[in-house]
Amino acid sequence: MNIVKLDAINSTNQFLKELVKSNDVDNWTVVTTEYQISGRGQMQTKWISEKNKNLLFSVLIRFNELNANHQFYMNCAISLGIYKTLTKHKIEGLTIKWPNDILAGNKKIAGILIENALVKDSIKHTVVGIGLNVNQIEFPVLLPNATSMKLLLNKDFNRDLLLKEIVDNLKYYINFIEKKEFIFLKEQYEKVLYKIGVVHSFESNKEQVFTGKITGINQQGKLLVEQENKVIKEYNYKEIKFM
Amino acid sequence: MELKEIQNLIKFVAKSGANEVKLEMKDFKITIKTGAGGKVTSIVQQVPAATVQVVPQTEIQAIPATEQKTESVNKKTDEANSYIEIKSPIIGTFYRKPSPDKPPFIKVGDDVEVGDTVCIIEAMKLFNEVESEISGKIVKILVDDSSPVEFDQPLYLVDPS
Repeated sequence: MNIVKLDAINSTNQFLKELVKSNDVDNWTVVTTEYQISGRGQMQTKWISEKNKNLLFSVLIRFNELNANHQFYMNCAISLGIYKTLTKHKIEGLTIKWPNDILAGNKKIAGILIENALVKDSIKHTVVGIGLNVNQIEFPVLLPNATSMKLLLNKDFNRDLLLKEIVDNLKYYINFIEKKEFIFLKEQYEKVLYKIGVVHSFESNKEQVFTGKITGINQQGKLLVEQENKVIKEYNYKEIKFM
Repeated sequence: MELKEIQNLIKFVAKSGANEVKLEMKDFKITIKTGAGGKVTSIVQQVPAATVQVVPQTEIQAIPATEQKTESVNKKTDEANSYIEIKSPIIGTFYRKPSPDKPPFIKVGDDVEVGDTVCIIEAMKLFNEVESEISGKIVKILVDDSSPVEFDQPLYLVDPS
Protein backbone atom coordinates (compact mmCIF):
# COMPACT_ATOMS: atom_id res chain seq x y z
CA MET A 1 0.00 0.00 0.00
CA ASN A 2 1.35 3.41 -1.03
CA ILE A 3 0.94 5.61 1.98
CA VAL A 4 1.83 9.22 2.66
CA LYS A 5 1.76 10.14 6.36
CA LEU A 6 1.41 13.77 7.32
CA ASP A 7 1.49 15.30 10.74
CA ALA A 8 -0.89 18.14 9.99
CA ILE A 9 -2.49 19.26 6.78
CA ASN A 10 -5.29 21.51 5.61
CA SER A 11 -7.17 18.63 4.16
CA THR A 12 -5.97 15.21 3.03
CA ASN A 13 -8.42 15.32 0.11
CA GLN A 14 -6.98 18.62 -1.06
CA PHE A 15 -3.43 17.33 -0.67
CA LEU A 16 -4.15 14.18 -2.64
CA LYS A 17 -6.01 16.06 -5.37
CA GLU A 18 -3.02 18.34 -5.86
CA LEU A 19 -0.63 15.40 -5.79
CA VAL A 20 -2.61 13.72 -8.55
CA LYS A 21 -2.39 16.85 -10.68
CA SER A 22 1.36 17.21 -10.37
CA ASN A 23 2.56 13.61 -10.18
CA ASP A 24 1.96 10.15 -11.45
CA VAL A 25 0.17 8.78 -8.42
CA ASP A 26 -0.64 5.07 -8.12
CA ASN A 27 -4.15 3.83 -7.76
CA TRP A 28 -5.08 3.28 -4.07
CA THR A 29 -2.51 5.71 -2.76
CA VAL A 30 -3.44 6.71 0.77
CA VAL A 31 -2.74 10.00 2.53
CA THR A 32 -3.18 10.08 6.29
CA THR A 33 -2.90 12.86 8.80
CA GLU A 34 -2.98 13.18 12.55
CA TYR A 35 -4.62 16.54 12.43
CA GLN A 36 -6.65 18.36 9.84
CA ILE A 37 -6.58 22.12 9.99
CA SER A 38 -9.49 22.64 7.68
CA GLY A 39 -10.90 19.19 7.19
CA ARG A 40 -14.39 19.48 5.95
CA GLY A 41 -17.44 17.34 5.96
CA GLN A 42 -19.74 18.82 3.44
CA MET A 43 -19.48 22.25 1.90
CA GLN A 44 -19.79 24.02 5.25
CA THR A 45 -19.44 21.56 8.09
CA LYS A 46 -16.06 20.98 9.69
CA TRP A 47 -14.73 17.65 10.81
CA ILE A 48 -13.40 18.02 14.33
CA SER A 49 -10.89 15.46 15.48
CA GLU A 50 -8.50 15.15 18.40
CA LYS A 51 -4.83 14.64 17.49
CA ASN A 52 -3.41 11.09 17.28
CA LYS A 53 -6.72 9.46 18.16
CA ASN A 54 -8.61 8.87 14.98
CA LEU A 55 -8.25 7.86 11.38
CA LEU A 56 -8.27 10.72 8.94
CA PHE A 57 -7.28 9.75 5.47
CA SER A 58 -7.91 10.03 1.77
CA VAL A 59 -7.66 7.34 -0.87
CA LEU A 60 -7.19 7.70 -4.59
CA ILE A 61 -9.33 5.40 -6.71
CA ARG A 62 -8.89 5.36 -10.47
CA PHE A 63 -11.45 3.95 -12.86
CA ASN A 64 -11.02 2.50 -16.31
CA GLU A 65 -14.53 3.44 -17.12
CA LEU A 66 -17.20 4.78 -14.81
CA ASN A 67 -20.05 6.86 -16.13
CA ALA A 68 -21.12 9.75 -13.91
CA ASN A 69 -24.66 8.35 -14.03
CA HIS A 70 -23.46 5.51 -11.83
CA GLN A 71 -21.73 7.67 -9.29
CA PHE A 72 -24.11 6.96 -6.45
CA TYR A 73 -22.63 3.46 -6.28
CA MET A 74 -19.50 5.15 -4.97
CA ASN A 75 -21.52 6.14 -1.90
CA CYS A 76 -22.68 2.52 -1.60
CA ALA A 77 -19.24 0.94 -2.03
CA ILE A 78 -17.39 3.28 0.32
CA SER A 79 -20.06 3.20 3.05
CA LEU A 80 -20.23 -0.59 2.83
CA GLY A 81 -16.44 -0.89 3.10
CA ILE A 82 -16.43 1.02 6.38
CA TYR A 83 -19.55 -0.76 7.58
CA LYS A 84 -17.94 -4.16 6.96
CA THR A 85 -14.78 -3.19 8.85
CA LEU A 86 -16.70 -1.95 11.87
CA THR A 87 -18.97 -4.98 11.87
CA LYS A 88 -15.90 -7.23 12.10
CA HIS A 89 -14.91 -5.34 15.23
CA LYS A 90 -18.33 -6.13 16.71
CA ILE A 91 -19.72 -2.64 16.85
CA GLU A 92 -23.44 -2.86 17.40
CA GLY A 93 -26.32 -0.99 15.87
CA LEU A 94 -24.41 -0.04 12.72
CA THR A 95 -26.33 1.52 9.85
CA ILE A 96 -25.62 3.68 6.83
CA LYS A 97 -27.55 6.90 6.95
CA TRP A 98 -28.43 8.02 3.44
CA PRO A 99 -26.47 9.06 1.56
CA ASN A 100 -23.16 8.19 3.27
CA ASP A 101 -22.89 8.64 7.02
CA ILE A 102 -21.98 5.69 9.18
CA LEU A 103 -23.95 5.50 12.40
CA ALA A 104 -23.69 3.34 15.50
CA GLY A 105 -27.11 3.54 17.11
CA ASN A 106 -28.16 7.12 16.51
CA LYS A 107 -24.63 8.50 16.68
CA LYS A 108 -22.19 9.26 13.91
CA ILE A 109 -18.97 7.27 13.99
CA ALA A 110 -17.60 7.91 10.50
CA GLY A 111 -17.98 10.47 7.75
CA ILE A 112 -17.15 10.33 4.08
CA LEU A 113 -16.35 13.02 1.53
CA ILE A 114 -16.17 11.86 -2.08
CA GLU A 115 -14.71 14.11 -4.75
CA ASN A 116 -14.80 12.94 -8.36
CA ALA A 117 -12.75 14.31 -11.22
CA LEU A 118 -15.02 14.42 -14.23
CA VAL A 119 -14.09 14.64 -17.86
CA LYS A 120 -17.22 14.81 -19.95
CA ASP A 121 -19.54 12.36 -18.26
CA SER A 122 -16.94 9.90 -17.07
CA ILE A 123 -15.21 9.73 -13.72
CA LYS A 124 -11.45 9.63 -14.23
CA HIS A 125 -10.63 9.22 -10.62
CA THR A 126 -12.08 9.77 -7.19
CA VAL A 127 -10.57 11.07 -4.01
CA VAL A 128 -12.35 9.58 -1.02
CA GLY A 129 -11.87 11.27 2.32
CA ILE A 130 -12.76 9.26 5.40
CA GLY A 131 -12.89 10.32 9.02
CA LEU A 132 -13.41 7.52 11.54
CA ASN A 133 -13.61 8.13 15.26
CA VAL A 134 -11.38 5.49 16.79
CA ASN A 135 -9.83 6.21 20.19
CA GLN A 136 -11.25 9.64 20.94
CA ILE A 137 -13.56 9.54 23.95
CA GLU A 138 -14.37 13.18 24.51
CA PHE A 139 -16.34 15.15 21.97
CA PRO A 140 -17.24 18.82 21.91
CA VAL A 141 -20.61 19.75 23.36
CA LEU A 142 -21.43 20.92 19.85
CA LEU A 143 -21.28 17.34 18.68
CA PRO A 144 -23.65 15.43 20.94
CA ASN A 145 -24.27 12.94 18.19
CA ALA A 146 -20.68 11.75 17.78
CA THR A 147 -19.30 8.47 19.04
CA SER A 148 -16.15 6.40 18.62
CA MET A 149 -15.03 2.77 18.58
CA LYS A 150 -13.45 3.18 22.01
CA LEU A 151 -16.53 4.81 23.49
CA LEU A 152 -18.60 1.87 22.32
CA LEU A 153 -16.23 -1.00 23.12
CA ASN A 154 -14.09 0.47 25.88
CA LYS A 155 -10.73 -0.45 24.36
CA ASP A 156 -8.05 1.07 22.18
CA PHE A 157 -7.61 0.10 18.57
CA ASN A 158 -4.48 -0.08 16.42
CA ARG A 159 -5.12 2.55 13.81
CA ASP A 160 -2.59 1.24 11.27
CA LEU A 161 -4.25 -2.16 11.19
CA LEU A 162 -7.66 -0.58 11.00
CA LEU A 163 -6.58 1.53 8.03
CA LYS A 164 -5.38 -1.53 6.15
CA GLU A 165 -8.63 -3.36 6.87
CA ILE A 166 -10.71 -0.45 5.62
CA VAL A 167 -8.70 -0.08 2.41
CA ASP A 168 -9.01 -3.84 1.74
CA ASN A 169 -12.77 -3.67 2.27
CA LEU A 170 -13.04 -0.61 0.01
CA LYS A 171 -11.21 -2.57 -2.70
CA TYR A 172 -13.63 -5.45 -2.24
CA TYR A 173 -16.68 -3.24 -2.86
CA ILE A 174 -15.11 -1.02 -5.53
CA ASN A 175 -14.47 -4.19 -7.50
CA PHE A 176 -18.26 -4.54 -7.91
CA ILE A 177 -18.30 -1.11 -9.51
CA GLU A 178 -15.50 -2.16 -11.88
CA LYS A 179 -17.52 -5.26 -12.77
CA LYS A 180 -20.66 -3.12 -13.12
CA GLU A 181 -22.49 -5.26 -10.58
CA PHE A 182 -24.48 -2.31 -9.38
CA ILE A 183 -27.54 -4.21 -8.23
CA PHE A 184 -25.48 -6.13 -5.70
CA LEU A 185 -24.18 -2.87 -4.22
CA LYS A 186 -27.66 -1.36 -4.12
CA GLU A 187 -29.09 -4.41 -2.34
CA GLN A 188 -26.27 -4.58 0.20
CA TYR A 189 -26.64 -0.87 0.86
CA GLU A 190 -30.42 -1.00 1.30
CA LYS A 191 -30.09 -3.91 3.73
CA VAL A 192 -28.25 -1.73 6.23
CA LEU A 193 -29.87 1.61 5.47
CA TYR A 194 -30.77 3.70 8.53
CA LYS A 195 -34.53 3.67 9.25
CA ILE A 196 -35.43 1.53 6.28
CA GLY A 197 -38.95 0.11 6.58
CA VAL A 198 -39.64 2.11 9.75
CA VAL A 199 -42.14 4.94 10.10
CA HIS A 200 -40.16 8.08 10.77
CA SER A 201 -40.52 11.87 10.71
CA PHE A 202 -38.94 13.88 7.93
CA GLU A 203 -38.81 17.47 6.88
CA SER A 204 -39.09 18.29 3.22
CA ASN A 205 -37.29 21.24 1.63
CA LYS A 206 -40.63 23.03 1.64
CA GLU A 207 -40.35 23.00 5.42
CA GLN A 208 -43.14 20.55 5.78
CA VAL A 209 -42.88 17.89 8.43
CA PHE A 210 -44.33 14.55 7.50
CA THR A 211 -44.14 10.93 8.49
CA GLY A 212 -43.14 8.27 6.03
CA LYS A 213 -41.24 5.05 5.56
CA ILE A 214 -38.00 4.65 3.62
CA THR A 215 -38.38 1.87 1.07
CA GLY A 216 -34.94 2.12 -0.51
CA ILE A 217 -33.12 4.12 -3.16
CA ASN A 218 -33.60 4.42 -6.89
CA GLN A 219 -30.86 3.96 -9.49
CA GLN A 220 -29.68 7.54 -9.15
CA GLY A 221 -29.47 7.10 -5.41
CA LYS A 222 -32.51 9.22 -4.61
CA LEU A 223 -34.21 8.28 -1.36
CA LEU A 224 -37.58 6.57 -1.77
CA VAL A 225 -40.05 7.39 0.97
CA GLU A 226 -43.54 5.96 1.19
CA GLN A 227 -45.96 8.66 2.30
CA GLU A 228 -48.96 8.15 4.57
CA ASN A 229 -51.19 7.83 1.49
CA LYS A 230 -48.96 4.95 0.27
CA VAL A 231 -47.51 7.01 -2.58
CA ILE A 232 -43.73 6.63 -2.89
CA LYS A 233 -41.87 9.87 -3.49
CA GLU A 234 -38.24 10.33 -4.55
CA TYR A 235 -35.98 12.78 -2.76
CA ASN A 236 -32.72 14.34 -3.74
CA TYR A 237 -30.13 15.15 -1.10
CA LYS A 238 -31.14 18.53 0.40
CA GLU A 239 -34.78 17.90 -0.46
CA ILE A 240 -35.34 15.92 2.71
CA LYS A 241 -34.09 15.92 6.30
CA PHE A 242 -34.41 13.32 9.01
CA MET A 243 -36.17 14.71 12.08
CA MET B 1 -0.93 37.27 -48.76
CA GLU B 2 1.22 34.85 -46.83
CA LEU B 3 0.32 33.59 -43.40
CA LYS B 4 3.48 35.19 -42.08
CA GLU B 5 2.43 38.54 -43.47
CA ILE B 6 -0.97 38.26 -41.79
CA GLN B 7 0.73 37.46 -38.49
CA ASN B 8 3.00 40.46 -38.82
CA LEU B 9 0.07 42.65 -39.70
CA ILE B 10 -1.82 41.50 -36.60
CA LYS B 11 1.21 42.20 -34.43
CA PHE B 12 1.56 45.62 -35.97
CA VAL B 13 -2.10 46.50 -35.40
CA ALA B 14 -1.90 45.30 -31.80
CA LYS B 15 1.11 47.55 -31.15
CA SER B 16 -0.36 50.54 -32.97
CA GLY B 17 -3.19 50.91 -30.46
CA ALA B 18 -5.82 50.99 -33.18
CA ASN B 19 -9.12 49.37 -32.30
CA GLU B 20 -9.99 48.10 -35.71
CA VAL B 21 -8.21 47.88 -39.06
CA LYS B 22 -9.91 46.83 -42.27
CA LEU B 23 -7.83 45.96 -45.27
CA GLU B 24 -9.16 45.04 -48.68
CA MET B 25 -7.01 43.49 -51.36
CA LYS B 26 -7.92 42.01 -54.68
CA ASP B 27 -8.74 38.50 -53.53
CA PHE B 28 -9.60 38.96 -49.89
CA LYS B 29 -10.60 41.25 -47.11
CA ILE B 30 -9.26 41.23 -43.56
CA THR B 31 -10.58 42.87 -40.42
CA ILE B 32 -8.40 43.02 -37.36
CA LYS B 33 -9.94 44.02 -34.05
CA THR B 34 -8.14 44.51 -30.78
CA GLY B 35 -10.12 43.48 -27.70
CA ALA B 36 -10.21 45.16 -24.30
CA GLY B 37 -7.66 42.73 -22.90
CA GLY B 38 -5.14 43.73 -25.56
CA LYS B 39 -5.74 40.48 -27.43
CA VAL B 40 -6.23 40.56 -31.12
CA THR B 41 -8.91 38.91 -33.15
CA SER B 42 -8.99 38.94 -36.88
CA ILE B 43 -11.56 37.96 -39.40
CA VAL B 44 -10.39 37.06 -42.85
CA GLN B 45 -12.72 36.84 -45.75
CA GLN B 46 -11.23 35.15 -48.70
CA VAL B 47 -12.29 34.63 -52.29
CA PRO B 48 -12.90 31.91 -53.19
CA ALA B 49 -13.84 30.27 -49.93
CA ALA B 50 -10.84 28.31 -48.78
CA THR B 51 -9.47 26.89 -45.60
CA VAL B 52 -7.20 29.30 -43.83
CA GLN B 53 -4.74 27.93 -41.34
CA VAL B 54 -5.27 29.00 -37.80
CA VAL B 55 -2.76 31.50 -36.55
CA PRO B 56 -2.09 31.28 -32.83
CA GLN B 57 -4.24 33.65 -30.79
CA THR B 58 -6.25 34.74 -33.78
CA GLU B 59 -9.61 33.85 -35.13
CA ILE B 60 -9.77 33.42 -38.85
CA GLN B 61 -12.88 32.53 -40.74
CA ALA B 62 -13.25 32.01 -44.42
CA ILE B 63 -16.39 33.52 -45.83
CA PRO B 64 -17.36 33.51 -49.51
CA ALA B 65 -17.16 36.93 -51.17
CA THR B 66 -20.82 36.84 -52.12
CA GLU B 67 -21.72 37.25 -48.50
CA GLN B 68 -19.69 40.39 -48.05
CA LYS B 69 -22.72 42.65 -48.31
CA THR B 70 -24.19 41.24 -45.13
CA GLU B 71 -20.83 41.43 -43.47
CA SER B 72 -21.86 42.95 -40.15
CA VAL B 73 -24.67 40.47 -39.63
CA ASN B 74 -22.43 37.57 -40.50
CA LYS B 75 -19.74 38.69 -38.17
CA LYS B 76 -22.12 38.65 -35.26
CA THR B 77 -23.38 35.15 -35.95
CA ASP B 78 -19.90 33.91 -36.66
CA GLU B 79 -18.64 35.24 -33.37
CA ALA B 80 -21.47 33.59 -31.49
CA ASN B 81 -20.91 30.36 -33.37
CA SER B 82 -17.24 30.37 -32.67
CA TYR B 83 -17.83 30.26 -28.92
CA ILE B 84 -17.93 26.86 -27.32
CA GLU B 85 -20.11 25.89 -24.39
CA ILE B 86 -18.91 23.96 -21.38
CA LYS B 87 -21.91 21.89 -20.41
CA SER B 88 -22.95 20.14 -17.23
CA PRO B 89 -22.19 16.42 -17.45
CA ILE B 90 -24.76 15.57 -14.77
CA ILE B 91 -27.81 16.80 -12.86
CA GLY B 92 -26.87 18.52 -9.63
CA THR B 93 -26.04 21.77 -7.91
CA PHE B 94 -23.55 24.09 -9.59
CA TYR B 95 -20.80 25.63 -7.47
CA ARG B 96 -18.33 28.13 -8.84
CA LYS B 97 -16.04 27.90 -5.81
CA PRO B 98 -14.14 24.97 -4.27
CA SER B 99 -15.65 25.99 -0.90
CA PRO B 100 -17.72 28.96 0.26
CA ASP B 101 -14.73 30.92 1.58
CA LYS B 102 -12.57 30.43 -1.52
CA PRO B 103 -12.46 32.47 -4.73
CA PRO B 104 -14.23 31.06 -7.79
CA PHE B 105 -12.43 28.55 -10.00
CA ILE B 106 -12.80 30.84 -12.96
CA LYS B 107 -14.12 34.31 -13.83
CA VAL B 108 -15.15 36.08 -17.02
CA GLY B 109 -12.02 37.02 -18.93
CA ASP B 110 -9.91 34.23 -17.41
CA ASP B 111 -8.08 31.81 -19.65
CA VAL B 112 -9.00 28.21 -19.20
CA GLU B 113 -6.78 25.28 -20.21
CA VAL B 114 -7.69 21.71 -20.98
CA GLY B 115 -7.85 19.86 -17.65
CA ASP B 116 -8.56 22.92 -15.52
CA THR B 117 -11.33 22.53 -12.99
CA VAL B 118 -14.11 24.95 -13.91
CA CYS B 119 -16.78 24.14 -11.32
CA ILE B 120 -18.18 21.60 -8.90
CA ILE B 121 -21.47 19.87 -9.56
CA GLU B 122 -22.76 18.32 -6.37
CA ALA B 123 -25.14 15.43 -6.59
CA MET B 124 -26.27 13.33 -3.66
CA LYS B 125 -23.33 14.49 -1.53
CA LEU B 126 -20.85 13.53 -4.25
CA PHE B 127 -18.70 16.43 -5.34
CA ASN B 128 -17.80 16.38 -9.01
CA GLU B 129 -15.00 18.59 -10.16
CA VAL B 130 -15.67 19.26 -13.83
CA GLU B 131 -12.56 19.55 -15.96
CA SER B 132 -12.52 21.62 -19.11
CA GLU B 133 -11.99 19.78 -22.36
CA ILE B 134 -11.22 22.97 -24.23
CA SER B 135 -8.93 25.91 -23.80
CA GLY B 136 -9.85 29.49 -24.39
CA LYS B 137 -11.15 32.58 -22.66
CA ILE B 138 -14.27 32.59 -20.51
CA VAL B 139 -16.74 34.92 -22.19
CA LYS B 140 -19.82 34.36 -20.07
CA ILE B 141 -20.97 32.43 -17.02
CA LEU B 142 -24.44 31.13 -17.76
CA VAL B 143 -25.50 29.79 -14.35
CA ASP B 144 -25.65 31.39 -10.90
CA ASP B 145 -23.58 29.96 -8.08
CA SER B 146 -25.37 27.31 -5.96
CA SER B 147 -28.20 26.83 -8.41
CA PRO B 148 -29.53 23.54 -9.78
CA VAL B 149 -28.41 22.42 -13.23
CA GLU B 150 -29.70 19.83 -15.64
CA PHE B 151 -27.73 17.31 -17.66
CA ASP B 152 -26.16 19.02 -20.70
CA GLN B 153 -27.09 22.52 -19.51
CA PRO B 154 -24.55 25.08 -20.77
CA LEU B 155 -22.47 26.49 -17.90
CA TYR B 156 -19.81 28.62 -19.53
CA LEU B 157 -19.29 30.25 -22.90
CA VAL B 158 -15.68 29.99 -24.03
CA ASP B 159 -13.89 31.80 -26.82
CA PRO B 160 -11.47 29.16 -28.06
CA SER B 161 -9.40 31.53 -30.21
